[in-house]
Amino acid sequence: MDNEGPLKRFNKKVDIIIYGTINSIALALMALGFTLVYGISRLPNFAHGALYVITGFIVWGFINTLGLNYFLAIILSLAITGLIGAAIYQFVLIRVRGMAISEIIASYAIALAILEGLRWGGFKGMTYTLPVFMEGGVEIFGVPVDLQRLIVVGIGIVVVAFLWLFTHYNKIGLALRGMAQDERAAMMLGIDSDRMAVIAMALGSVLAGLAAVVLLPLGNIVVEAGYRVLIFAIAVCIVGGLGSWVGAVLAAFIIGFAQIITVAYIESHFHMVVALLAIIITLILRPSGLFGRQKELEERV
Amino acid sequence: MLEARGIMVFYENMLAINNVSIKCEEGQIVGIFGANSAGKTTLMYTISGIMLDIKRKEEMAGGERITVLGEIRYNGEDIKNLKPSERARRGIILCPERRRIFAESSVLENLKIGAYLATTSQAKETLEYVFTIFPPLRELKGRTGGFLSGGEQQMLAIGRALMAQPKLLLLDEPLLGLSPAIQSMLIRAIREIRDQKGIALIITEQYARPVLPIVDYAYILENGSAVLEGRGKELLENPDVKAAYFGM
Repeated sequence: MDNEGPLKRFNKKVDIIIYGTINSIALALMALGFTLVYGISRLPNFAHGALYVITGFIVWGFINTLGLNYFLAIILSLAITGLIGAAIYQFVLIRVRGMAISEIIASYAIALAILEGLRWGGFKGMTYTLPVFMEGGVEIFGVPVDLQRLIVVGIGIVVVAFLWLFTHYNKIGLALRGMAQDERAAMMLGIDSDRMAVIAMALGSVLAGLAAVVLLPLGNIVVEAGYRVLIFAIAVCIVGGLGSWVGAVLAAFIIGFAQIITVAYIESHFHMVVALLAIIITLILRPSGLFGRQKELEERV
Repeated sequence: MLEARGIMVFYENMLAINNVSIKCEEGQIVGIFGANSAGKTTLMYTISGIMLDIKRKEEMAGGERITVLGEIRYNGEDIKNLKPSERARRGIILCPERRRIFAESSVLENLKIGAYLATTSQAKETLEYVFTIFPPLRELKGRTGGFLSGGEQQMLAIGRALMAQPKLLLLDEPLLGLSPAIQSMLIRAIREIRDQKGIALIITEQYARPVLPIVDYAYILENGSAVLEGRGKELLENPDVKAAYFGM
């Protein structure tokens, strides 16, 4: 997490439940965009974390150099991140479409270029911060929680609800689900595969940006967050089953709670270890993840 | 309406379709009959443009080199290089072999996904029409696609294709693996689609007998070549056809 504040040892079970939930929803926010793009176009977007970080810097730039209003800066940055994502597909990934290894290399190269470019450009250190949306905090069952973390929970719920409605009632959303299940069958119905992939990448990038916008005010904007977010997103995806949205949300809760439990009982710097262990254990015990598509079964039927 | 001339398709050096020319007029039902591997599905993929996508993917993966030759005209326009989605927009919709319904979505969602190209009012009207010609689908609206029986899946696949507002509907082996009762029900529905909606159809099948009565014109493919063609009734009486395709 980018939040260093209240990651002290949690003593009460209520602490674990409340901060576990917040942490899980934060993870889900980080991972949903990655899962969405993979689920729809089978495209592992390794630039996901870079899009997360760059959104933070764009918002920062709008506020601090152009003096824009915070809310306006956020909306504009999300639009820009969406465009960057669409451009990454349209100009780069489209050429290596269908070759998984090349897709990973190309998107990771873009991520490295963005992240290390930012570092090279001097965007490092503790100076880059975003203000919280609302100052102050409340007590829930005697546990102090600041308002920004409650906003994270609220936005997480809104995003999941929005995605559900979008993919069940909107024409484009339904077409994306068709693509996710059978690209060729979708094509026969007039759904254009490249157009849907561009839309998926734009939407996935906006989701990465949205996660950044709500989570970054809890800490500093640092380049390293790009790598961290990417690994968390991959962990959530692998545990949940690649491409499964329900699986991703469930996996975010499993990993999120596991992380907070290690903070409570072991030590407070095990976030990454938990995520990596989750990947390894899943690959050993159940390679397709919790909700992975059972390909063999489909073929038998 | 559709005129394909001198179609040749090579997979590497293997000739899958050899100089086939077919024609489908407005409001006609055209049959294409042939055994397994005669080239029926390849021909359907070539007409609908899916072949271009397969070719692109094969090239990217360094797989088989696919070559498509010949001319495909649709309402006078050369569509040979159009993407499948562009052809679909012009009204050429393929209802694929083995149905390929969206197994994780409900029946209603399958139909809604099919309505991608339709306007809201077209979608509403066509949905009602699909439920009229395939009444079981209305009852199964909420059922997950993967849990339907073969016959129900085929009704859904045709219904889904109709939602895309076809002017020329390609049905690739719609009767495959279905019981005679369901086959005749589907054939009746297919004829109704043509009569009531004026949609032209190209149907491929291995066995000509069940479909031949509703077919206006038919081609018989053998190892990628069109060996025989004629009006449905004429073929019905042709002794060679009888021997080869009716098992008589």
